[in-house]
Amino acid sequence: MTCEEFERVLPELEGDHNLEQHEHVKSCPLCFDLVSDLNAISQEAHWIGHGQDPSPRVWNSIENLLRQEGLIRDPQPQLVLVPPKAAGWRFAWLMPITAALFFGAGLILIHQRVPVQRASTPVVAANQPIQPGAPADAEEGQLLKLVASRAPAMRTAYESNLRAVDAYIHDAEVSVHNNPNDENAQQYLMNAYEQRAMVYEMAMDRSIQ
Amino acid sequence: MTGARKPQSEKLSEADAIERAKQGDAEAFETLYHLHKRRVYSLCLRMTANTASAEDLTQEAFLQLFRKIGTFRGESAFSTWLHRMAVNVVLMQLRKKGLPLVSLEENVETDEESPKKEPGADDVRLAGSINRLQLEQAISDLPPGYRTVFLLHDVEGYEHNEIAEMVGCSIGNSKSQLHKARMKLRDLLKTSRAAKATKP
Repeated sequence: MTCEEFERVLPELEGDHNLEQHEHVKSCPLCFDLVSDLNAISQEAHWIGHGQDPSPRVWNSIENLLRQEGLIRDPQPQLVLVPPKAAGWRFAWLMPITAALFFGAGLILIHQRVPVQRASTPVVAANQPIQPGAPADAEEGQLLKLVASRAPAMRTAYESNLRAVDAYIHDAEVSVHNNPNDENAQQYLMNAYEQRAMVYEMAMDRSIQ
Repeated sequence: MTGARKPQSEKLSEADAIERAKQGDAEAFETLYHLHKRRVYSLCLRMTANTASAEDLTQEAFLQLFRKIGTFRGESAFSTWLHRMAVNVVLMQLRKKGLPLVSLEENVETDEESPKKEPGADDVRLAGSINRLQLEQAISDLPPGYRTVFLLHDVEGYEHNEIAEMVGCSIGNSKSQLHKARMKLRDLLKTSRAAKATKP
């Protein structure tokens, strides 16, 4: 086999040589060097690797186009009442405290309404019947009428106080609604309920006196 | 504009990212991009030898991928699917530019292409001494047709039957082009080495 014959078949060999070709490579330094060089180039090319990153503008462009085409869909905001699992158990200690605060706020609210109902029921029975399921404003109205009947000079002041504390309660309720896990918002709401309870007690005390 | 930053939340596996990308999750898209950007960009850069073109082609390859991600069923590896898409994008671009992907004449050897072997010439063997940077430079100096087949076979690992299908030639032509590419690289590397040796 000559060198020209060997080179002619070399593209088809892909590393597999028959006996004749193998013998020629062993005996011919030029063809031996040729085969070695071509193998070295092929092997080195395999290890070239992928070492370069495109510039950040490539991703920016991709993201913009995906959004324009509607392929990227932003998730809908969800009201999270419980800390997400991914946040870890480091927020788990908030849960019993939050539960206790809501429970306490509920107890205070119930406590406020019971004495008002006890006090107002005989008065209402004496003066005017209470409509079942009447809103708190109706109760406030009854209270103010009671105060007016017993201490007319104080009615305006108590009415003003009730309006102020009602506004305070409203603001606190909005804050808790928007930030259910916010301890400060919960505390404000409890404070607001306590203040209304105090106004009621003062009004009741005044009217009894 | 998020920029090409890495996602801050817990890392997604590729499988999770694929499923979430099908739902339109932005972070999933970005995860898949960062996982594969380097390989796709390197392929585009080597085949075009131009940074701007390579970035445009990388962008196009990923856009095509993300538009079709809903059709990915997992029959093949995701990286294989993406890589094929990137190669097709590059080849289509080369066709648009009118650049020859491979020579149509399989067995034509010009004086320029075939190395002249002179008896007794002092040939220093390359084996064991190839400088990787010089090889990269030599690859970028190859004619486009040779470069395409060489990159697809020796760098990216495609077989001749796959290359023939992608490029639109015969298997024999693919083998011939690969051989010529390697021969040309051999010349370029030896010339480069000789030039360095003669420098003061």
